[in-house]
Amino acid sequence: MKEIESLKHSLDTLGYVADEELATVLFLMLHLKKPLLLEGHPGVGKTEIANVLAEHLQTELIRLQCYEGLDVHSSIYEWNYQKQLLSIKIRENSDASEAEKEKMIFGKDYILERPLLRAITAKEKAPVLLIDEIDRADEEFEAFLLEMLSANQISIPELGTIKAIHPPIVILTSNRTRELSDALRRRCLYHWVNYPDPEKELKIVRKRLPGIEEKLARQLVQVVQNLRSRNLNKAPGISETLDWAMSLNALGKHEIDASVIRATLGSLLKSNEDIERIKHENLSEILTGNL
Amino acid sequence: MTLPHHLQYHNITEAILGFAEYARSCELNVGIRESHEALEIVSTGLIENKQNFRFALKSLFCSSQENTETFDTIFDLFWGGEKAEIKSKIEYKNQSNIVRKSSGSLVMMNKGSSTVQEEEEGKNVSGANSTEQLRKTDFSKVSDIESEQLNKLAEDLWKQMSKRLRKKFRKSVTRGKLDLRQTIRSNISKGGEMLDLHYKEKKPDKNRLIILLDVSGSMDKYSFFLLRFILSLRSHFKHIDAYIFSTKLIRITEYLEIKNLQSVLEVLSHYADNWSSGTKIGECLSDFNRKFAKRSLTGKNMTIILSDGLDTGEPELLVNELQKVKLRTRRLIWLNPLKGMKGYVPRTRSMVAALPEIDHFMSAHSINSLLELENILYDAN
Repeated sequence: MKEIESLKHSLDTLGYVADEELATVLFLMLHLKKPLLLEGHPGVGKTEIANVLAEHLQTELIRLQCYEGLDVHSSIYEWNYQKQLLSIKIRENSDASEAEKEKMIFGKDYILERPLLRAITAKEKAPVLLIDEIDRADEEFEAFLLEMLSANQISIPELGTIKAIHPPIVILTSNRTRELSDALRRRCLYHWVNYPDPEKELKIVRKRLPGIEEKLARQLVQVVQNLRSRNLNKAPGISETLDWAMSLNALGKHEIDASVIRATLGSLLKSNEDIERIKHENLSEILTGNL
Repeated sequence: MTLPHHLQYHNITEAILGFAEYARSCELNVGIRESHEALEIVSTGLIENKQNFRFALKSLFCSSQENTETFDTIFDLFWGGEKAEIKSKIEYKNQSNIVRKSSGSLVMMNKGSSTVQEEEEGKNVSGANSTEQLRKTDFSKVSDIESEQLNKLAEDLWKQMSKRLRKKFRKSVTRGKLDLRQTIRSNISKGGEMLDLHYKEKKPDKNRLIILLDVSGSMDKYSFFLLRFILSLRSHFKHIDAYIFSTKLIRITEYLEIKNLQSVLEVLSHYADNWSSGTKIGECLSDFNRKFAKRSLTGKNMTIILSDGLDTGEPELLVNELQKVKLRTRRLIWLNPLKGMKGYVPRTRSMVAALPEIDHFMSAHSINSLLELENILYDAN
């Protein structure tokens, strides 16, 4: 399809190598106006998708990083207490009635907008809202999200319901540290982001590091692919591949051999046990791919 | 039974609805809304390219990675050209699934050793309140068929328990109390008006749990379930430190990060020589005290030992090491699966010697007995 091809091409020029499946899903998300849930191992470029999509649509990216204990106040809105208190103090001697004063300090001027409210109230263009690592937030927070995702509105008790003028384009990412609720899943399109195959990874490396030597790139992709099949504690993601490529570039290496791997393993593997294990293995096997 | 196929339908709308229904019958989460949106996909023209059409429907009908395999199979089946070839694929897939599952449980639970009498006891579990029964059933007397049910039930109940516990703990972690002194002090410059509120510091995380699981031969029938239990606790407690021991001690905390039980077992099977061998609790505890205790025991945490106490080492050593652990821990809990047996009295030298050092001595042979742990975990906070 033409639209999908052009979307793919556009993401490509922005530096993101998207496969047919992802491009289809993104197209569908924009068309159906449904949120998209991306799951996959850490470091496979889930967050990056939101970044390039915002760039592609030339709109604002609003990001909400989830963590345990994330609540309404830090995700949707909070009253500006200081301003409210000051306002009361200033108006202490005015003639306004109690009710008027109260209405005044619970107005829109006294609200601090947090990411979700900001995404809903965007005035010019629908923003891309990235809700990152939703699995880290609590289940209660998921419930807050549901209203927003399905009806594109947020309820604030003192102000009433705020409806979006331009419904945001929502992307959720999850690392699967916790199972998400079915209710949330059902409101989203789903896409599993896998580790890339060698060709795609090679394309990504070339794209991000245009100056890299062909031989080096091929070798390093081969090594990374081999490492991923090794049942490590934390398999290297694409970001690690790029890190490694950059460090090899910086060291001026033209070729990878066992000693190079040993010296630079730290930018590829991020756990001591993994590093120790690989160091003691036969590194030439990892280089040539004979498993 | 003939399998549904798109050629059976008159037009594309009916075919899509038929496919949605088929997907639903294969336990994919497809409702009216999904069917409706699938029809919308057709109107975008995505159907022109079969590959695009597949991807589009996949993102709509699947809600987790596990679904994608099922989806691909039924998609090929429904929208494919030749039926017979794909059908055989499904059968093959199902077979491979079954084999994998049973071999997984065989590794851990030595079914071969169970006697006829034991099996009979296990079979009593059926009837209207089978769930209630199952909760009380001894893990060692569970038949293969029931173990599947039991796993599911246990998973649910433990999940609920962890969730409750976590909610209870949460209260103390949100925000400290109002620090009145500091608030007044910092607001003097604002004319004594309380504009900036100061809070006392958050309480530090206290729910650190140390678990030592005995995986020796005598614990064979329990260790699999207990490992599951630890795993489900792990998904809700941030600070769990877990070890397995038999003749030597191994830290498994890192492996618990991988939430999938199957992969945890795969990783642990590297240490197979340790699994199902004899027990030297005293030596393992001394190992623990030497290597890990300084790092993980803070004096405010709880230590749980899961073992049947059938020890081949010296009781004096065990007592000595237990005392060391106790000095650095708030409560020492010993869960013994044998305690669930009728008329069990701790008789082994080690167990008798260890008893005075233990705060709580409880059974751990069934789901219910493990759920009782909840109250202790809560009290300790």
